[in-house]
Amino acid sequence: MNTWFIIAQVLGVITIGFEFASYQIKDKTRYFLVTGIGSFFWALMFVAIGLATGMSTQLSLIVAATYSTIRNLVFFGIFKKNTPQSKEIGLNFLLFMILVALVAGTITVLNAPAEVRWLHALGMVTALAFVIGQYLPGVHYVRITVVFYAVVVLLTQTPINILYGDFRWNIMGIAIESAKIISVAVFYARYANQPKQAQLVFAKP
Amino acid sequence: MYTIISDGGCDFTKVDVVRHNVDIIPFYITFDGETHMKEGVDISKDEYFTRLKTDKTLNPKTAQPSPQDYIDMLTPHLQAGNDVLVLTISSKLSGSHNSATLAAGMMEEEFPSRNIVVLDSLSASIGQGLILREIIKMRDAGFSLEKTAKRAEAVRNTTQLYFTVDSLEFLKKGGRVGTTTAFVGGILGLRPILHIQDGQAVQLETVRGKKNAYRLIEEAMVNALRDDVNDIQFNIGHILSEEDAVNFQVNIETALSVQMESPVTSIGAAIGTHAGPGALAFAYCKKYTACEANEKTSFIEERKAA
Repeated sequence: MNTWFIIAQVLGVITIGFEFASYQIKDKTRYFLVTGIGSFFWALMFVAIGLATGMSTQLSLIVAATYSTIRNLVFFGIFKKNTPQSKEIGLNFLLFMILVALVAGTITVLNAPAEVRWLHALGMVTALAFVIGQYLPGVHYVRITVVFYAVVVLLTQTPINILYGDFRWNIMGIAIESAKIISVAVFYARYANQPKQAQLVFAKP
Repeated sequence: MYTIISDGGCDFTKVDVVRHNVDIIPFYITFDGETHMKEGVDISKDEYFTRLKTDKTLNPKTAQPSPQDYIDMLTPHLQAGNDVLVLTISSKLSGSHNSATLAAGMMEEEFPSRNIVVLDSLSASIGQGLILREIIKMRDAGFSLEKTAKRAEAVRNTTQLYFTVDSLEFLKKGGRVGTTTAFVGGILGLRPILHIQDGQAVQLETVRGKKNAYRLIEEAMVNALRDDVNDIQFNIGHILSEEDAVNFQVNIETALSVQMESPVTSIGAAIGTHAGPGALAFAYCKKYTACEANEKTSFIEERKAA
């Protein structure tokens, strides 16, 4: 078996670890750091697959994963600094990221076969919702939007491939997206029975 | 006997001023950068905020009282043989404390036998107002200036002030949030909850929607005060949102089974210019009777040495 292919699987498992861990974290700063590291290994995984099977097929995925890594790590820096100025920079960066995703998504939708165009359009919408959900306050938006996003990614990696007549599914990709969904389920299962913590705490007089 | 003076940051009403026998040095407001109006004298709070609400093009500014304003206010009291306690808005929010300190320094040279204590509230609006109310109680209870100053400092250290705004527009005008933040925050209905911490305004949390913000604040306030109900006093301030403030008051009073000592307060320009119409403020502190003063050798001597 190709060594790069084995390395890709190892990187995939590391990605799963970080992605799973990130959705167990309530603190936004730590979440962005952990998911950012996960995205970095995710990008490396595509590079390794590219080295194993040919880079041209993986290029768009490498770009997408790099985009995700940069976004998460920039947000980590912004939330860590937590000043009005850093938040303004973060928001401008978010809008830029949304614009990039819109352009890339529109191109993907237009280039997709007509019968599955709707699914790619749905992918674009859920991806945008996820990027916004990551930035919104609280613990719920990011988890709800990531589940929708992961479900659509899973759909694009299974039925679409059948439609294409291509049965070489990206098993590791499916495992990574499934890990996010399972992690969100575990998060809610863990906290469902715990006494509710106040979202806002005021200082004692 | 001593006289109590505060800058307009305390948001006392004219009725409060007369009833409690305190003097207020107002802040200045300008709409055009040239005509400076004294808040509460040349223009009322309601008039000011109604203009802000109806004319979005206005870019008002506030200015602190000058040292001369303090000198003019201090002189007759010192000439009458009274000592003076001056309470100011947080020195990190305004230059009023600096003006007061400069004026006090000059007046002490002129009246060496008199004592002037300038106390930084490290708060503003209703937070400063609560400290002022405790100072008044101490004066009325016959406390000396020294004892009042020490205990007022202890009260100040228990004072917490939070506020939430209806729109990010005014925070943007004041340079506290950027253009993009205000724009996107407006679309998403985000409401920041701010805290005056160590005298400075810091953003504590951002929540979506007014109802959600009020629910969280109410919960946080009840949790913070639950164990000290008999030892605390609290107040709620508003800008053209009296109904919301009164509803809030009723909810807190019911949850804690306690009565608010002073009525809901109309927030003034010092904080209100940055918060804008629709803002609500929440403040609480320990009563002076529940505070232990820091036993320094002499508050006055130490301050004079400084």
